Amino acid sequence: MSTVIEARNVHFHYTPGVPVLTDVTLSIGPGATAIIGQNGAGKSTFVRLLNGLLKPVSGTILVNGVDTRTQTVASLARTVGLVFQNPSDQLFKSRVIDEVMFGPLNLGFSRDEAEARAREALAQVGLQGVETRNPYDLGLAERKLITIASVLAMGTSVIILDEPTIAQDHAGVRRLGAIVDELAAAGRTVITITHDMNFVARHFRRVVVFGQGRVLDDGDAASVFSRPDILHQTGLEAPQITRLAQALALGETPLTVEQFVDLVRRRLSGSA
Amino acid sequence: MRVSLYVPADTWLHRLDPMTKLLMAAAGVALTFVLARIESGAVLLAIFFTVLGTGRVLRQAGSVFAGVGIIAATFLIVQGLVHPTNATPLIILGPVVFYKEGLLIGLRLALRLYNILSATLVLVLATNPADLTEALVRRGAPARLGYVIMSVLQIIPTMVAQSAAIADAQRSRGMETEGSLWVRVKAFLPLMGPLVTSSLIATEERALALEVRGFGSSARPTFLKPEVRPPHAGLVRFLCVLTLAAGVAGRLLLGW
Amino acid sequence: MAVVEVDNLRYRYPRQTTLALDGISFTAEAGEFIGIVGPNLSGKSTLCHALIGLVPHFYKGAIGGRVVVAGLDVHATPVAEMSRRVGLVFQNPFTQITGAKLTVYEEVAFGLEYTGVPREEMVHRIEEALRLLGLWELRDRSPFALSGGQMQRLAIASVLAMKPQVLVLDEPTSQLDPSGNREVFEAVAALCRQGITVIMAEHKIELLAEHADRLLVLHQGRLVADGTPRDVLSRAVRGELENEPAPAPPVTEAAAALGWTMPEGGFPVTLDEAVAVGRAVMAGDSGADSR
Repeated sequence: MSTVIEARNVHFHYTPGVPVLTDVTLSIGPGATAIIGQNGAGKSTFVRLLNGLLKPVSGTILVNGVDTRTQTVASLARTVGLVFQNPSDQLFKSRVIDEVMFGPLNLGFSRDEAEARAREALAQVGLQGVETRNPYDLGLAERKLITIASVLAMGTSVIILDEPTIAQDHAGVRRLGAIVDELAAAGRTVITITHDMNFVARHFRRVVVFGQGRVLDDGDAASVFSRPDILHQTGLEAPQITRLAQALALGETPLTVEQFVDLVRRRLSGSA
Repeated sequence: MRVSLYVPADTWLHRLDPMTKLLMAAAGVALTFVLARIESGAVLLAIFFTVLGTGRVLRQAGSVFAGVGIIAATFLIVQGLVHPTNATPLIILGPVVFYKEGLLIGLRLALRLYNILSATLVLVLATNPADLTEALVRRGAPARLGYVIMSVLQIIPTMVAQSAAIADAQRSRGMETEGSLWVRVKAFLPLMGPLVTSSLIATEERALALEVRGFGSSARPTFLKPEVRPPHAGLVRFLCVLTLAAGVAGRLLLGW
Repeated sequence: MAVVEVDNLRYRYPRQTTLALDGISFTAEAGEFIGIVGPNLSGKSTLCHALIGLVPHFYKGAIGGRVVVAGLDVHATPVAEMSRRVGLVFQNPFTQITGAKLTVYEEVAFGLEYTGVPREEMVHRIEEALRLLGLWELRDRSPFALSGGQMQRLAIASVLAMKPQVLVLDEPTSQLDPSGNREVFEAVAALCRQGITVIMAEHKIELLAEHADRLLVLHQGRLVADGTPRDVLSRAVRGELENEPAPAPPVTEAAAALGWTMPEGGFPVTLDEAVAVGRAVMAGDSGADSR
């Protein structure tokens, strides 16, 4: 796995004496990585270190080998796209298409290129047909999709999503999962902070668990979810279907309903 | 994370009840207009500084003063240059001449500005907006008026706190904010939209939350804590009235 | 006598052409926990607002049908009066903090002050509400110094102090982490045991299936299912609900695929039920087939 983002012994605090991140060391490469943990565990702070909004108090963050301390946020925005949790912190144009074009225009694309990218990004999030509408005339879930499209249009190799599933309904979460799968398959580095364990289990190959400002666990989804004691330290549980398999002592860690059903069938036919 | 101009502390000024401080502010504003001479304005300002200083809010007041410094400077400059009674040159910078008469008038205007500001700050910096609202509502002001007052006092600091979050979001989309002044001015527009919108949305959400807590009720409110007037309030009120009376008398009889 | 009676409720927001609520009818008894589920824009929030009168009094628009909550006709009663019998908790914990009070204790007092409750009664109610929501130890803290889950519990306590018969919650766990979610659901279930009727719009179907007595499924403003979680989710997982408005919990989907049914019919909807059925199947399987 080639490393795109590297954190080395990162410490961070807002006020001295109140550590927010302690000795975080991680390497993240292409594919889908989920960051999970209780509120206040340092997840949002960590991702803000990755695009330069915050600089480590000690330790280093390297993006494609370059120290974030030597870059401005705007220049890092060519490589690292961050979608914030609250769309109201971002949306300011009166037409959806202008909003989605803002990022590419900042990066120096021509109007035509920016528009083409914007249209493509909107199609990717399933929002065709709303280009000329005002973002605030659409619902919260659609506004969140617009903010995602805005970052996709920038074509960054790293895409960070901060709690994208909040307020989404089932169809919305499915659409987000499809977007994550597509981006990961295309070789981009997708990092997502989320509380939805089912979403994590289905779409993320790698899971990093944060608790009290430290990395408590880091590995593929199956191994992380098979360690309930670690999850418990940060107020989390494995996905429901995984817990069912664990309660039934099936021996493996299924991550989806399909895997569970398959596992049960194998166990039952095996014991016959 | 309290977001208002109010600076919590435990001083004689803070311990005064809101109505007394309202009286102080009102007396201060009235005196500003009653007194005519520059010297009187300066004395009044010195009184305010003492009040704000012993109330330990002088530093925050200083930030506000600095903020309106440009306006005060404009008074001096404009009046100094072009007031109709200008006759005596005082400061000469090449072709530009500032006259004594105009400068003095500008100074008087600037002093008035700072006096009014100080009077208001005595109230605003040392009073919890909610306490002020409660004091007014106890005396019959409608609750909704109280909410409007609270929102107005809270809105600018709230926006300032929010604008940092918005700036972060826009910077992450490649908007350059660090650098030359022009770059920063250009960066301003994308910040305004979300700032206003999110403030409006938050205000609407707050209003709804208050509605369902009975805020619009027509019943006369009852209050959890009984109203408390500290012992020195009486003295302060007396002094306010006395100072106001002295100022009026001084103006009429001695031309203060 | 039902605590909540909704009869053919229809509503259209101003300047809209489609109905946000299209002929909704249901009743609720004292102490029932009712979950409202459905896709976004199906009318869940609108229905919540209609139970306390924000729809139509705050939002205006056109309304038809009848809504009677705790004996009051919502369309004919001002919101301030309805708020004595019905409480509403919103999605965002932060905007429900009035900002007017310095401590958690005083924050709860706010609504009581404005509805003119006598002081001795106030003290009694505040303590009761804070203890019930597990916030008594935090009563001197600033409301802004609480975690998201604690803030949401504070919002519930503040509304609860008004002693409503019905508590309506509109996606209250949206901004919370998993432990915050559990806190809110457990607090609310405790209220039901005290006789308060709880109506909660939510997406978190696993927790609803565990705690709710009934589920109402909305789709495009219409009520498409009304029954116990077992009934509704079993129908959903069999594809009997048009347009699939409600996802079932993963254990229910797995049970349906494997044919694991509850002895009394329908599929398990909670982890514990699925474990029980699963164990029975695995135990009974030593030898024979998988049914």
